[in-house]
This record gives sequence, structure tokens and C-alpha cells, in this order.
Amino acid sequence: MTTTAIPTETDRVPATAPKRRPKREREGAAWVFLSPWVLGATVLTLLPMAVSLYLSFTDYDLFNPPQWVGLRNYVQMFTEDPRYWRSVVTTVTYVVIAVPLQLALALVVALALKGMKRGKAFYRSAFYAPSLLGASMSIALVWRAVFNDGGTVDNLLGTGGWVNKPGWSLLAVALLTVWQFGAPMVIFLAGLQQIPAELYEAAAVDGAGNWRQFVSVTVPMLSPVLFFNLVLQTIQAFQVFTPAFAVSAGKGGPADSTLVYTMYLYDRGFVASHMGYASAMAWVLLLVIGVVTAVLFRTSRSWVFYASEGDR
Amino acid sequence: MPRHRTKGFCASAAALALCAVLAGCGGSGESAGGGKIVLRYTWWGNPDRAERTEQAVALFEKQHPNVDVTTSFSGYDAYKQKLATQAAGGDAPDVMQLDYRQIDQYASGGVLLDLAKQKAVLRTSEIDQGLLATGRVDDVQYAIPQGRGTETVAYDVGTWKKSGVPLPGKSWTWSQWADTMRALAKKTGKPGATDPGQSEDAFEVWLRGQGKALYTEDGRLGFTADDLTRWWTFTDKLRREGAVSPAEQTTQLDGSVENTPLGRGTSVTDANWDAPASGFLALVKGGVALAPMPSAEDGTPGQYFKPSMFVGVSANTAHPKEAAQLVDFLVNDRQAAKILGASRGIPVNETVRDEIGPQLKDFDKTIADFQASLEGKLKDPPQAPPSGDNALQSTFQRDYDQVSYARMSPREAAENYVTEAKAELRS
Repeated sequence: MTTTAIPTETDRVPATAPKRRPKREREGAAWVFLSPWVLGATVLTLLPMAVSLYLSFTDYDLFNPPQWVGLRNYVQMFTEDPRYWRSVVTTVTYVVIAVPLQLALALVVALALKGMKRGKAFYRSAFYAPSLLGASMSIALVWRAVFNDGGTVDNLLGTGGWVNKPGWSLLAVALLTVWQFGAPMVIFLAGLQQIPAELYEAAAVDGAGNWRQFVSVTVPMLSPVLFFNLVLQTIQAFQVFTPAFAVSAGKGGPADSTLVYTMYLYDRGFVASHMGYASAMAWVLLLVIGVVTAVLFRTSRSWVFYASEGDR
Repeated sequence: MPRHRTKGFCASAAALALCAVLAGCGGSGESAGGGKIVLRYTWWGNPDRAERTEQAVALFEKQHPNVDVTTSFSGYDAYKQKLATQAAGGDAPDVMQLDYRQIDQYASGGVLLDLAKQKAVLRTSEIDQGLLATGRVDDVQYAIPQGRGTETVAYDVGTWKKSGVPLPGKSWTWSQWADTMRALAKKTGKPGATDPGQSEDAFEVWLRGQGKALYTEDGRLGFTADDLTRWWTFTDKLRREGAVSPAEQTTQLDGSVENTPLGRGTSVTDANWDAPASGFLALVKGGVALAPMPSAEDGTPGQYFKPSMFVGVSANTAHPKEAAQLVDFLVNDRQAAKILGASRGIPVNETVRDEIGPQLKDFDKTIADFQASLEGKLKDPPQAPPSGDNALQSTFQRDYDQVSYARMSPREAAENYVTEAKAELRS
């Protein structure tokens, strides 16, 4: 114990534990301030998750008390439910179509905006707008009308209604997602502006053209942002629900072609009243998203370049 | 330090209080409506039924000035999903229209009120006793039937007459029906009917014609994959020939008349229940008439009279008496019956039926005459379907989608369905 620099403090704090009590008080205050969030996270997220984990081992029809059935839901899902596997294939197809398309579009628009001298703020907002609107049910319903028999697309291309053709309906759903490229675009734009101009100057001096500059400067420098967007959009794409629900008028049709994972989960839970089965599906989805994200992180070592790491 | 703590405490207390206030705002508006009792009443149906129901409800409100009834309706598919979610959350409407398929599940799940408790205001003595019994589960009256209905082939009179194909008679077999649809398609250039392969109801009519049933008495599947394969092979062939609607049209069905091929003007007939067929009047310019469902080749009819729908009261309602009064009004009141006509089927209150019957006009009379033409010819209705049937109805449609989009053979799809149905009925 050194003699104290602030005499007023020592007057109050007992000599035995001069530092612990203030710390605990600080912690206490922190918890009080955190309490709204902690309360929300516990009551609205953690508790329901725990309940859903329990329910996934039961047979529960919402009206009668849950009956413990052990692993039956999981066994049924993997071995006796052809529609479950169709929904898995549909979801993976959707992720593989929607995510790359959306990221490519976001990057192209971000590149175009970056080079823009005037009106950048306007176009940035304009391209971002679909992301704000697109999540709404009304836009999804308009989408259905646009791609239905006699809708805009049918009239322009004469292809018939996409939403009634099993080979095309999922593409209509994916396009609705792709159209909402605003969030990744803004992040790309921020990333692009972080790339030091001297790198481009140096490349230009070395005789690199636009394409060469893009491949050798932009892509490596942007790779952390690209990776961030890829992970985020992949996680979101696996959980797609609203566009598939609205575009297929709530049925996942035609012929189950838009019955994505969460749609089938909803169908099992709220239409067929098998909450136990739906909960089991939700947990499998959580695990799969976790695994996919882990794999993405693993591969990222070989293609994501962090400038701060220097020249490795 | 203590001072410091007080400040932090106050801030967080304020934050919590704010949370509580915000949460409070989301609470129920039970007392809304200027001190009146508010009842929620929901049903499915077509706009014609909606309009007449609104009129009847307005009359009820006039008779009961202290009650305010808020109503809402939608197509059957959407209604079914919404009600299931509400019921599961303990937020079922005070008064709700129910289908035969829902009663077993909702009654055993404790969603519905035992109506015998309100017999002081809800009279059942004039109701056809056989029909009344269909609203009982384990000897408790959970719901009151609202009308008697049967299936029908509704057709566009104008288009049919113009085609030169002879109009349907008092009965026809499935093969006569199929030939007629082929002839209509040839003459009019559009399919004769909605593809009946997607309809569990049509399949049931076909199945009953052969002396079988959808479900056994102990609630298991009453038919085999072979039966279903034969049915789907029959409809698959008709679809390929263009005699019934193509997959792109069939898949748009959602339980509303507007989205049937007949409602869209892309076919000549539609198999439907008789009461909702009134919705076609507003959509089909050439007029609408009703023909019976086809029967088996030996003439055995498959269609039957069933309670077209029920009305029940939520077990959680805050106003059981007023809710029961509304049910009583809808089922027993003379004036209400005059307004409602046959929009929910022929009335089940026998006194009302006898009194109102001769006064029925327009399409209500068409329905009454149609039912009269079948009186005494039909076999007894099956017992209430097991609760899994609610989900199986959509499964049936989806599995047939695989056939109509030529992604599976009738045999594959039928076997899929039987597997799914057995799993559904076991749980």
C-alpha cells in the first residue's frame, strides 16, 4: 500500500481492499445499464431457444402437453421424409444462385458509384432503397404479380408466369433477394474507398490496365470486405422465408419448387401443428449454418488478404 | 460513490419503466369501442357470403346495442393457417367458423367452449338432431353446424350451351363425365374442368363410389396406394389430353372461387361445394348452374350431405354469454336466416328451413333445388375426419402437383402420399 495520491478516496475506502470495491461497483453499474439488453436477450432469445431445444425431442401439437419422444423427430427427418430432403436441395440451390448474384451485382454497382463525380449520394440512396422496401410483404406480393401469368414479365418476354413453373419459380424468388443488394453494396463502397490511391498509381505506372488493376489491387485489398459480405449473406440466404412465402402465395409451390427450408419448417409447425418436428428442423438449420460458416472461415485463410498482416 | 450509484440506478430504473410502458402499449384492446363489449367473429368465404354476414351482424348489433362485433374473413386456406396460429397462441376469436376437419383437433386441444354451458341463450331444439351431433366430440357440444352442403359440378351455362354439347342430366358416371369434359374441351378450346386430381374432396367422392372411405372408423387411412394410383392415373391422362386444367392453372388454387380456372374464365366447370359456388355468379357472365358429382360406373353415388361448416366459441372468451347469443342469432334467428339465405348451405334449423325454404330466391333457390334433387339418394356421411386430415389436405394437393408437373409418376406420388399420411395419422 503506497500512500495515496487522492486523499479523499482513501478516507472512504477501507485500507484492506482499496481497489476491489470500486471495481465491483463499476461492474454493478454496468450490469444495471446492461439490464434491458440482458433481460431482452434472456426472455426473448435464450429462453425460447432452450424451450425449442427441449421441444425438438417431443411431440407437441400446440394444444396438448408435449410428449417426450427422444430422437424420433430427428430420425424421421433424416430417414422417412422425402419432402424434407427436397426442401434442403431447394434451399442449397437458392443459396448458390442468390448469394453470388447478389454480391456480384453489389460489387459492380459499388465500383460504378466509386468512380462517380456527381450525384453519388443520390444514386447510393436510390440503389439502397430496394433493401428497405424489399423486406416488406407488399413488395413481395407485387413481385408475385409481376412474375405471374399475364404479369409484366410474361408480357415483356412471353415466357408465361414464372411463379407457376417449377423450373423458374425459385429464380423469381432469388431475384427478389438479389434486387436487395443495397447493404453489401454500401459495405463494398466503404471498402473501396479505403484502398489507398497510391496503390493504383503505382500499378498504373507499372503499366497495369483497368482489368489488371481490378484483379491485382482491388480484389485482394477488398477481400476482407468480400469475405464479410459473403458470410453475412450466406447466413441470411439459408434463412430465407418472406420472399419464398409471398411469391408462392404461402404454399412453397408449384410442385414444392420454392419450398425452402424455413417454409417447410413453418408448414410443419404452424400448418400441420408439429411443433416438436419444426423445432428439430430449426436446430438442424442452426448447426448447418454454423458448419457452413466455419468452413467459409477455414477457406478464407487461403484467399482473404489483410493489409495489416504485411507481405506474408 | 453512493451518489454515483443513485444516478445510475435512476437511469436504469427509468429505462425499465419505459420498457414496461412500451410493453403495456401492446396489450389487448378489450375495452375498446366506447365501453361496449367487443366480440371478434371470423369466417372464411366468398364476397357474397361476406356481404350477407355483415348485414346479419349489423342486425345483431342493433338488437344488442351493448355489443360491438368486429368481423374479418378470408379465403379458406389463409383462414385455416391464421386460425391455427391464433388458437395456438390462446388468442382464438370469440366466435369462429370451423370446418369439419378442425373440430376434433380444436375440441381436444381445449380451444372451444362447451356450448351446453350457455344453453340459456343458445337454443338447439329446432336443429336437425343428426346434424347437431356432428358438432359433438366425446359427447360435448363444441360447435353448432351452420348449414348443410354437398359437392357439385358448377358450370358456366352460357359457354356450355354455345358448345353444343348436351347439358348434364340428373346423374353421370365418372367415365361419362370424362367424355363430356373431352367434348367440351374440343368444342370450346378450353379445358372442361379444374383438374380434380388435386382435390382430396373429389378423390373422396370417387372412393366412396367404390364403397371405400378416406379414413377407417378408428382414424387410419381407408385406402391403399393402388387406389390413389388409379385415381391419379385417371386425372393425369385427362390433363395430358387437355380435358382438365393444366398444372399452371391448377397450382393457383387457394380455396377461393376467384382463383379457380372457372372463376378466371379458363375452364367450363369446377367441382366445388354448393354454397361457395354462389361466388361464381359474379365472375361468370354466362350464368352458373349446378350438376351432381359423377358416380361410380354402377351408379353408386360418392357425394354426401355434410355439415358445410360449424360455428364455435373460444374457451378463452371474456364474454361467453354474448358470444353464445351471436351463435344463437346466426343459427336460429328468422331475420338472420332471411339475410343469410343459403350462403352457408341450407339452414340446419328445421323450423327456419321450412319457413324460409319457399322464400329462397336466385342462387339460394338453385342450391335448395339441387339438394332436393339428391334427397334420399345419397349414402350416410363419414364420421368426422381425424385431426391429421387438416394437414393432409394440403399434402394431397402438393403430391399431386408432382404428378401434374410430370415430375413423378402417379404411382410414385401415391406411394409418397400414403407414407406421409400414415406418419401424420400415427402422431
